[in-house]
Amino acid sequence: MTRLLPLLLLLTACSDPGAGPSDDAVTYVHAMDGAPASLDPAQASSVYASFLVVNLYDTLYRYKYLARPYELTPNLAAAMPEVSADGLTLTIRLKPGVRYIDDPAFAGGRGREVTAADVVYSLLRHFDPASRAQGAWLWQGRIEGIDEWKAAGADYDNPVAGLQALDTHTVQIRLTRPYPQFVHTLAQAYSAVVPREAVERYGRELGSRAVGSGPFMLRSFDSARAVMDRNPAFRREPFDLAREGYDAGSQSQYELETLEGRAPPFVDRLEVEFIAEDAARWNAFRGGQVDFIKVPAAQFDQVLAQREPPRATPELAAEYHLSAERESGFVYTNFDMSNPAIGHHPDPERAQRNRALRCAIVNGFDWEARNNRFYSGIGKVFPGVIPPTTPEYVEDAGSDYIQRDVEAARTLLSEHGWNADNLPVLEYGYPASVTEQQMFEQFRSFMADIGYPRERIRPLSFATFGDYFGAYSRGEVMLITSSWTMDYPDAENVMQLFYGPNAAPGSNSASYHNPQYDALYDRAAPMAPSPQRTASFQAMNRMIMDDCASITGLARTLVFMWNRDARMLPDRSFTGGFFLRFVDKAGRDG
Amino acid sequence: MATLRLERPGPGGRAGLVIIMAFALVALAVSTGLYPADAAVATGSGQWEPASGRHWFGTNRLGQDIFARAIVGAATAFKVGMTVTLLSLLLGAFFGVVAGWRPGGWLDALVVWLMGVLDAIPFYLFAAALAFALGGGEAAMYTAMVLTFWTATARLVRAEVMRLRQLDYVASARAIGVAGPLIAVRHLLPNCRHLLLVQAALTFVAAIKTEVILSFLGIGMRDGVSWGLMLSESTQDVLAGHFGNFLAASALMFVLLLGFNLLADALQQPNPDSAKAMVGA
Repeated sequence: MTRLLPLLLLLTACSDPGAGPSDDAVTYVHAMDGAPASLDPAQASSVYASFLVVNLYDTLYRYKYLARPYELTPNLAAAMPEVSADGLTLTIRLKPGVRYIDDPAFAGGRGREVTAADVVYSLLRHFDPASRAQGAWLWQGRIEGIDEWKAAGADYDNPVAGLQALDTHTVQIRLTRPYPQFVHTLAQAYSAVVPREAVERYGRELGSRAVGSGPFMLRSFDSARAVMDRNPAFRREPFDLAREGYDAGSQSQYELETLEGRAPPFVDRLEVEFIAEDAARWNAFRGGQVDFIKVPAAQFDQVLAQREPPRATPELAAEYHLSAERESGFVYTNFDMSNPAIGHHPDPERAQRNRALRCAIVNGFDWEARNNRFYSGIGKVFPGVIPPTTPEYVEDAGSDYIQRDVEAARTLLSEHGWNADNLPVLEYGYPASVTEQQMFEQFRSFMADIGYPRERIRPLSFATFGDYFGAYSRGEVMLITSSWTMDYPDAENVMQLFYGPNAAPGSNSASYHNPQYDALYDRAAPMAPSPQRTASFQAMNRMIMDDCASITGLARTLVFMWNRDARMLPDRSFTGGFFLRFVDKAGRDG
Repeated sequence: MATLRLERPGPGGRAGLVIIMAFALVALAVSTGLYPADAAVATGSGQWEPASGRHWFGTNRLGQDIFARAIVGAATAFKVGMTVTLLSLLLGAFFGVVAGWRPGGWLDALVVWLMGVLDAIPFYLFAAALAFALGGGEAAMYTAMVLTFWTATARLVRAEVMRLRQLDYVASARAIGVAGPLIAVRHLLPNCRHLLLVQAALTFVAAIKTEVILSFLGIGMRDGVSWGLMLSESTQDVLAGHFGNFLAASALMFVLLLGFNLLADALQQPNPDSAKAMVGA
């Protein structure tokens, strides 16, 4: 026994009571098709980063778990903001007693209370060049004094007139002009609240660790997976089905009623596996290594017994839940309107010929074939840029724009003097991937049908999306294939994609410029949702189609599957990671 | 000195030659338009149709005939193999002769150092990095392969030249004042041809394999049809339960590489007739 004593002492010393849940802990394993580059909210530019950040940190607001259309609800904030009569001043009160997790960054290693000053600091970080943050575009020119604060050297001790902590729990924000979407920006991962001590102590290292007040605490993170444990100090807020927007008619099959009254998060450990390869992710799901998968489009034929509405085959339905969600966004191909060979041109006659050329290409594009070949026919093709998930969407916005008409395309070309010898060489850009390459091949075959010679349509592929983004931002790509995932559920977010002042390198990658469009946008964007604003957006949508500035669009249908013992309703829209705190597993019931 | 067996190759060598000739004919037919390349890009058929009399290996996601694509892919493989082999052999032979002519000189030291540096980098990593740095695409792929393949040839030629330059006929040529470049062209390179032929077969195989790998990785062929692109496509197809792309590209590549390997093996065997003649002498 005396000989065993040192060994026992060693084993005792090695055991860490705070090391995390025991082996019988309830663990939910999520799979994603990409990995975040950083967990710092200031760098949360991808859906992958957002998924994790909103679970490790708190945002002032979040979206209700089950409500569709999406609705905001307070998260770290105690209530929705108090807005002044002119809509320019917002006062937000924080929930008292919310604490950061324990971390050596804090005095004594114990997490302190989250304060209004932290909210101010977290937003200001986006305007501090030293932080290399990426979210400034959300608030640039919108908050009084914030751009001047940056220009004056981004000193955190200098106050910003429009962004102030009135007391420990109250933040006041003054806007430069009405910005109805502002509260949505406070539900984004970019706005997650970080403690200054952690930023100053860890610097860039904050990208691989997390010091937040969210429902989970980071245990480990690398390029293959992130492991998070339940934050035992997370505020106890009983789950309320009605408040989360539960709809018994469409959601009863997910057994969410059992969550009523319990305080999230419901699982002890949350693991997120980053598996980029579709086949590997599918095999991990079928092999039981992960609980959830976004079904790869190539798999739809094997998975779906019925497409509208999507329903799993009986064999799969016995093992898994399935839900389908139309994306809040769309895929489209922009013409580079700054390129005089195909876009805007100072000579009115040539400008007219270019328009005819673009319209012929739009006429020749076969959306039905694109949908069938690449989205198993369950995507939603719609005219213009206002996607079906927004209230401003109208079914008959211009169905001729998405209806293929090869004869009309040929006629347009010949009437405007275009022929096989003088058609410009089109460079079709895309980030290198099998699917994108096949889409290019399909596009070229569509164009061959309207008489566009194959050799005049060339691929311009880029090794990474970053390279591609850089190239089209510099106006080096004539045909820009892209997709847009909305940042918030408001059509303004898509209308700004064609606003002249946002031209490349801004979000208007088409560099579309139409003074009438810009004037309408200036008038409508500051408006709250209303019939008048809807009419303006629809008129702008029509302008984009009249000018044939883009081949658009298709909203993809995302199909999710998860194990039947996991009680949840997954979501990938906006910062969809909020739902992970509400995931429960039957193992919890024992 | 062992001579080549091209005149009377063994059964393996003959089989290899037949296979290569068959593929060469296919490549010729495609490049001259006798076999319509359009068949490989037409998208008129149904998605992922099963194998049938009309589509021997079925169709891919776009409804393109997989067999037609595999045939056009063979022409691409031949084009890549020929181009890379020719250029890397020229480079390798040149630097091999230059380095081997004056062993120990500064030029030799420079070439040996350069070859050492290039060979020290893992091949596929180097080829991928080079292709990536050059912006991808066909030109980058060719450059990456040529810049990495020439060293093997250069090493062999250098060693052979160092041996040949000791022989009497080279010494005689030098003694009567024949210029170095002329000696290289007239006497050294012709006597390296057995090495160059074997090396050509091996380089051809390596080029085809590398093209397939780089295209699979997205840094090789970007337009047109290649076995690498077909294999890359098959990663999606296999998930959906369709194996036509994978089978067609793999099978044709296997047969062509087998042909080259058989030929290379045959070329490396000493010619029994020559050996007998030498013993008899």
